Amino acid sequence: MLRYLISRIISLGLSLAVASLVIFFVIEIIPGDPASFMLGITASPETVIALKAELGLDQTPVVRYLNWVSGLLVGDFGISYTYKVPISDLVLDRIQVSLPLAVYALILSTAIAFPVGLIAASKRGEPTDFGIMGFTQLGIAVPNFWFAMLLVLLFAINLRWFSAGGFSGWNAGFWFGIKSLTLPAIALALTQASILARVMRSSLIETLSQDYIRTARAKGLSQRRVLIRHALRNAMIPVLTILGLQFSFLLAGGIIIENVFFLPGLGRLIFQAIMQRDLIVVESVVMLMVFAVILVNFLVDITYALVDPRLRREG
Amino acid sequence: MTLLAVSDLNVSISGEKILNEIEFNISQGEVFGFVGESGSGKSMTALSLMSLLPKSSMRTGRAVLEGRNLFNLSEREMCAIRGRDIGMIFQEPMTALNPVMTIGNQVAETLVIHGKYTRSEAMTIARDKLARVEMPTDRFSPDLYPHEISGGQRQRVCIALAIALRPKILIADEPTTALDVSTQAQILELLKRLVKEEQMSLLFITHDLAVIAQMADQVAVMQNGRIVERSPTRELFQDMKHAYTKKLFAASNYSSGVNDKPKGAKFLEVRDVVRTYKLPNRGILDTIKSNVAIRGVSFTIKKGESLGLVGESGCGKSTLSRTILGLDPLQKGRITVDGVEVNSGRKMPHSLRRKMQIVFQDPFGSFNPRHKVGRLVAEPFHLLEKPLTTVQQKERVVSALCEVGLKESDVDKYIHEFSGGQRQRIAIARAMVIKPDLVILDEAVSALDVSIRAQILDLLNHLQFQHNLSYLFISHDMTVVRAVTDRVLVMKDGKIIEEGMTDKIFDCPQQEYTRKLLEAAPKIPQVWAPAKFCRV
Repeated sequence: MLRYLISRIISLGLSLAVASLVIFFVIEIIPGDPASFMLGITASPETVIALKAELGLDQTPVVRYLNWVSGLLVGDFGISYTYKVPISDLVLDRIQVSLPLAVYALILSTAIAFPVGLIAASKRGEPTDFGIMGFTQLGIAVPNFWFAMLLVLLFAINLRWFSAGGFSGWNAGFWFGIKSLTLPAIALALTQASILARVMRSSLIETLSQDYIRTARAKGLSQRRVLIRHALRNAMIPVLTILGLQFSFLLAGGIIIENVFFLPGLGRLIFQAIMQRDLIVVESVVMLMVFAVILVNFLVDITYALVDPRLRREG
Repeated sequence: MTLLAVSDLNVSISGEKILNEIEFNISQGEVFGFVGESGSGKSMTALSLMSLLPKSSMRTGRAVLEGRNLFNLSEREMCAIRGRDIGMIFQEPMTALNPVMTIGNQVAETLVIHGKYTRSEAMTIARDKLARVEMPTDRFSPDLYPHEISGGQRQRVCIALAIALRPKILIADEPTTALDVSTQAQILELLKRLVKEEQMSLLFITHDLAVIAQMADQVAVMQNGRIVERSPTRELFQDMKHAYTKKLFAASNYSSGVNDKPKGAKFLEVRDVVRTYKLPNRGILDTIKSNVAIRGVSFTIKKGESLGLVGESGCGKSTLSRTILGLDPLQKGRITVDGVEVNSGRKMPHSLRRKMQIVFQDPFGSFNPRHKVGRLVAEPFHLLEKPLTTVQQKERVVSALCEVGLKESDVDKYIHEFSGGQRQRIAIARAMVIKPDLVILDEAVSALDVSIRAQILDLLNHLQFQHNLSYLFISHDMTVVRAVTDRVLVMKDGKIIEEGMTDKIFDCPQQEYTRKLLEAAPKIPQVWAPAKFCRV
């Protein structure tokens, strides 16, 4: 297990190094010079050169890469060209919205998907199963921004239970913060829960046809106990994979929902940065998200090994 | 004293009749055997006693265990019976245990769920039960996971969890079919001992007449969902009243018409072959380890000769066949076919590959289920130097299929439309379609029922005669090897430890290991049966 852990950590480090190189050089070759963009087309070449020097853009790419990476390591993301504030402050501000939203949506989606998947698998081929399958199909098909608007219409405008959007920070109290994230989280969780429930169901059904399930039944376990004690853990691997992918998606991909609900999250930050050619913000936020994705995958790998003893010996 | 009385048992699945008026009694402490071919209803009989039939099935009749009719019990009451009064073990020990639970926990679970013991008591008893199946805790920790022990050991764990609560009846459904002869002998011995010590009854299901002869006090022969003959074991073997029993018996003692055709020149020569595997690298930090699968093996096969290769699982038989086919590289030594050296990978010319074909044990797993038979059989054509026209291809496919006893119209069918025996015929047709000189038969008849096996062996014999083929016949089934091979090699731990003419080796083996292997193979006592059936 220790060996497995160490080899996972090494591969985590390597992935990060490669990712940082790719991100830096891809953004490097994108057309559009931040300095001339900031100054507008009427700026004189001298001013552009001066600004470039100020921003450090006149150095060679290798030097700039090393500066950037060494900055990242100590938490210094540099200074935004457009906002003129340290990027770490910007990110810290935004992540207070995006991270809780992602976690909230994931908790909701898991809390819905697990029991639903279990019920569908145990009632396989019965009306309950068909009903659940139909409903999850709908959940996947409905675009989440449209679903979000329906939620706003019903709960914010008609019932006035929640606010229609915006986020006033955590200073107003934990529950107040949670309340303003509830509708966006539900909007995000619908699709994810539907996908997860279907994966859960099919993985469970496959597991239920295994020989060891028959052995467990021959021991005298009831259908329900077999499902919980034997099938569930064996069916977890595909579910964990999807869960990991979903968390990454929720963290980085909440951009549309953030726009619908006017939430100051990471998605909107990166969207605006791209529009304004604020490349250092783009670079840093993308790197941060890549880090989050790789970290989540690392955690998923570790949970695989906790779930399945056969994986503990492999690298 | 009758323990279980089954009468008038009828089962149908989705309207199709599977079992017909099954009737039998099992006395206390008795071993009751069911024998028959696959699909005859043996397993279904067992599953109906356990009320574990598929959902779409209908069951009528009575099965009275100590005054209670099992078929009238609710699912909840049955859960209490399963594992406590009736234990069951299955054919596939490799997959019968939950891979994410330790073996100790799996044995203890039986004790806990019936509410008789607490968890810690159950763990103590589980250790004791594991010791009873010869898995003592000082050598096999209860914290091991199933993937850390062998197939035979897993079957022992399955037995331990089935007998943990001292059930009155143990049902064993082909418990040794997936194991090699030596392991089979040990498991059978263990079952016999446990039946005696625990005073259980054993319902033993197998397709192997020799195994049933060794194990059972009473035998029921099943065919098409009916019991066709039922009597004490010895009487059954001596009298064999029913025609089907006789047929089954004759088929299980297959003997080919001896192929006395003179053997030709040396065709395959294997000299000092060594094959080592790199073990899978467990992460970046691991050092490279390797495992020697074949340690210096030499032998030859002549044209038209059948060479048998026997040994326990894991001795290197299949690795050897892969090396001969040029699928795996060898680390030392030399293999020549018709004087040309075999190399693995791209270096090996198609003209050489064309001379050798292989037929595997599992005919279903070795075909792409989405291709039609015509395309499957045509697969080896890419090895020919001159490509054939579509018409020529079709002709050769059809003639190959006809030669193995299938019809021209089968070309357009898919593989799932065929029975196990027919699938194996298709596999043989695929091997034969480019007219090879050497066919490697890797456990090619092991998964087949006795009567089908006899037909396939006849077919192989006929093909050998027609085309002067050489066979390398890999099997763990001693009866078959004796019946169809001219010479035999005995392999152990990657080495050939004995080699000679088949009859000689079987009659007076020189090596202790060979003797053990032959003794382990189940036999029908000679005094029971007419002399002509007593070959092994």
